[in-house]
Amino acid sequence: MTILKDVCSELFSMFVADARLTAAILATVVIAAVLIDATRLPDVVGGAVLLVGCVAVLFWSAKREAARRNSQKSED
Amino acid sequence: MLEWSTAAPAVGAAFLASIVEVVEAFTIVLVVATLRGWKPAALGTGAALFVLTAIVVILGPLLDRVPLHLLQLVIGVLLLLFGIGWLRKAALRAGGVIPLHDEDAIFAKETAGLSAEVARRQASQDWIAGIAAFKAVLLEGLEVIFIVIAVGAGRGLLWPASLGALAACALVLVVGAIAHRPLARVPENTLKFGVGVMLSAFGVFWTGEGLGVDWPGHDLALFVFALLFLVAGIMVARLVRQPPREVTP
Repeated sequence: MTILKDVCSELFSMFVADARLTAAILATVVIAAVLIDATRLPDVVGGAVLLVGCVAVLFWSAKREAARRNSQKSED
Repeated sequence: MLEWSTAAPAVGAAFLASIVEVVEAFTIVLVVATLRGWKPAALGTGAALFVLTAIVVILGPLLDRVPLHLLQLVIGVLLLLFGIGWLRKAALRAGGVIPLHDEDAIFAKETAGLSAEVARRQASQDWIAGIAAFKAVLLEGLEVIFIVIAVGAGRGLLWPASLGALAACALVLVVGAIAHRPLARVPENTLKFGVGVMLSAFGVFWTGEGLGVDWPGHDLALFVFALLFLVAGIMVARLVRQPPREVTP
C-alpha cells in the first residue's frame, strides 16, 4: 500500500512539482488554444504565443523560486 | 523510413533522460547490495523491471487507439509540465540557488536510512532491502517510460526511443559494474539541463501540433525550439546566479 502511495505521489510530483508553474503553463496552453481555435489569426500565431509564453513562464517561475529561496536564506 | 531530424532528438532525449534516471536508481540498488548483498538487490530490481514491462505491455497497445491529435496534445502538455520543471531546476542548480545533485551524498544518506530501518526490523532485513531496490527502480523506471512514450509516441518513434533508453541502461550498468561505486562523476545537472531543453522543445512542438499548428519548417522547428530553450535556460541560470559571499574577517 505504501509503495502504491509512493508511486502515485511520484507521478503527481512529476507534473505538479510547483502548483503555480503548472497553472502558468496550462494558462499559456489555453491562451494559445483560444487564439488558434476561436480567432481568425493564422494558427502559427497561436504557436508563437505558446512558444514565447512557455519561455516567459520559465523566466518568471525561476526568478520567483530564486527570490523565495533567497528570502528564506536571509531569514535563517 | 525514419526521418533523422525527428528520430535523432527523440533517441537523444530518451538516452540522456534515461541516464539521469538510471544513475539515480543505480545508487539505491548499490546501497542495498552493499548493505545486504546482491541477492535482495537483484530480486528487487528484477521485480520492478517485471512490473515496468507489464505496464508497457498493457498500456502500449492502448496508445494506438487514441486519436493522434489528442495524443500529441496530452503528451505535449505533460512534456511541457515535466520539461520546463526540469529545466527550471537545472537552471537554479547551475545558478547556485539550489545545491547540485550529489550521488555520493545520496549514497551515504540512503545507506544510513536503510541501515536504521534494517536495524529496527531485525526479522526481515533482506525483505526491506529488496523493497528499497524495487521502489527505486520502479519509480525511476516510470519516469523513463513516460519520457520514451512522450518523445516517441507522437510520430511512431517508440522503438527508436526505447532503444535509446535501453542503451542508457546498458551503459550505466556496465560503467557501474566496473566502477562498483555511485556514479558521482556523471555530470547530472548538465544532462538534466540538456534533457529539460529537449523535453520543453518537444512539449511545445507536440502541443502545437495537437492544437492544429502547422509549424514552419515542420520537424526542423524542433531544433529552433531547442535552441531557444537552451539560450533561455542559460540566461535564467545567469539571472538567478548567487553573488559570491564576502568573507568577513
